[in-house]
Amino acid sequence: MSQRPTVTIIGADGKATGATEVLPKVFGAPIRPDIVKHVHTGMAKNKRQPYSVSEKAGHQTSAESWGTGRAVARIPRVSGGGTHRAGQAAFGNMCRSGRMFAPTKIWRKWHVKINQGQKRFATASALAASAVAPLLMARGHQVATVPEVPLVVDSASFSNAAYAKTSAALGLLEAVGAGDDIAKVKGSKKLRAGKGKLRGRRHRQRRGPLVVYSPEVDGSELVKGFRNIPGVETCPVESLNLLQLAPGGHLGRFVIWTSAAIKQLDSVYESKKGFFVPSNVVSQSDLTRLINSSEIQSVLNGPKGVARTKRGNVQKKNPLKNKQIMLRQNPYAATYIKENLGSVKAEKAGAKRVPASFKVLLNEV
Amino acid sequence: MSFPNVSADLIWEVTRNQNAFLVKRKTTGGLRFSRDPYNLANVHSRKHAGFVNEKAVGVVPNEKGGVQVITKKAGAGNKPLTGRYTVTYGGNKSARKTYKNIATQTAKSGYRADLRQTAVARASAIRKSQRPVKASPEKKLRGNAAKKAAAEN
Repeated sequence: MSQRPTVTIIGADGKATGATEVLPKVFGAPIRPDIVKHVHTGMAKNKRQPYSVSEKAGHQTSAESWGTGRAVARIPRVSGGGTHRAGQAAFGNMCRSGRMFAPTKIWRKWHVKINQGQKRFATASALAASAVAPLLMARGHQVATVPEVPLVVDSASFSNAAYAKTSAALGLLEAVGAGDDIAKVKGSKKLRAGKGKLRGRRHRQRRGPLVVYSPEVDGSELVKGFRNIPGVETCPVESLNLLQLAPGGHLGRFVIWTSAAIKQLDSVYESKKGFFVPSNVVSQSDLTRLINSSEIQSVLNGPKGVARTKRGNVQKKNPLKNKQIMLRQNPYAATYIKENLGSVKAEKAGAKRVPASFKVLLNEV
Repeated sequence: MSFPNVSADLIWEVTRNQNAFLVKRKTTGGLRFSRDPYNLANVHSRKHAGFVNEKAVGVVPNEKGGVQVITKKAGAGNKPLTGRYTVTYGGNKSARKTYKNIATQTAKSGYRADLRQTAVARASAIRKSQRPVKASPEKKLRGNAAKKAAAEN
């Protein structure tokens, strides 16, 4: 890569400021949905709250087995009399009011360790994918009104806590073309199916843009301005998180950068000890260009076999009526027509007359 | 595309199994459709996946009748706002002129010759859907019993 691509910096009014920024190296990382998916699966497990059934559930009875000889199963049975419960089977996972099979324990292995190198690779990959407009569209973001991907907004407009108020923050998002995506999130709010409604997860909605900022330059007042806009999340550039960059393990989050944040990204990656931005295995991923390249074309063999036109689904023609078809099918036809053999009288090799002397001999005259 | 790590082929491999435009339902018998505006046939396939390809044609209904043809500017893949080229063929323009222009726009100058026929067919279908629906003639009564019943009522 001789020349690194640049990105235009957009002003707070949505127009290009004229300034450009060289894209950080991490945007050239390979896009690997498999790694992102795998790392995301692990990371998503690390915020879980342990749960289990009560230790006592299904065991709060003094049931004993009746043993053999009573013509009933040897499962423990509730002792006593005078109630329906007496004599009913207890404890077993197959019993009504019994304990569950293998009761869940809070000491289940809730967390998953993910290798740091893999995590960093996945984050780099998710960042690279966030700079590809088709991947954003495939994730469902409404980016038709966005001037450029990745979207970089001038940090100058963030000075003096300009976006500490939600109305100002919303105005900025609409000016830079993110209004459609926020409208989509707003319309997507639905009541969650199932028990999650009772457990603090009443609604579900889409994710909108992620605003990445540099706390030193932009300040962190903007967090308050953006936090009540549906679907919008904010993240400081030093602590980029895969769960936000690829929600659900799907690549292509719509990220809005401040110009200070994108400037800082290279140094953020340089400060990670022992980590280099992953390089691509193939330098050219465009298959058509690969196939049509002179390197490939020059070593290809020519097509095998003879030139032949395949006649597909065509109407069958009668060779007796259609001269061209006859010529194609009958190699003798050309000569036959040329020499006009059709109208040549066949030579009669008729029987010779019987000589008169023979008839005399037979007394027929 | 900004970096050489990305190409239309790669994007297709990343998104072919699941993407926001894809429609797969059991009721469609396993057929896969696409809601992509740049998809002329509404079919989920590499050829028709317009959001993936560098050059793509879309034909969408125009609000005031007729059709709008949208094409992507090659090389402006990461500029969604300015990378889109729209031409409107109003409902009053003759069908022949509309189709001729769409065919030219799609296939001439090496854009997407393989999509010419589909583009014209889609424009034709959209125009057809915009025509007023003819009222179906009243049903004739068949048989004496039916006529008698109708007379009584």
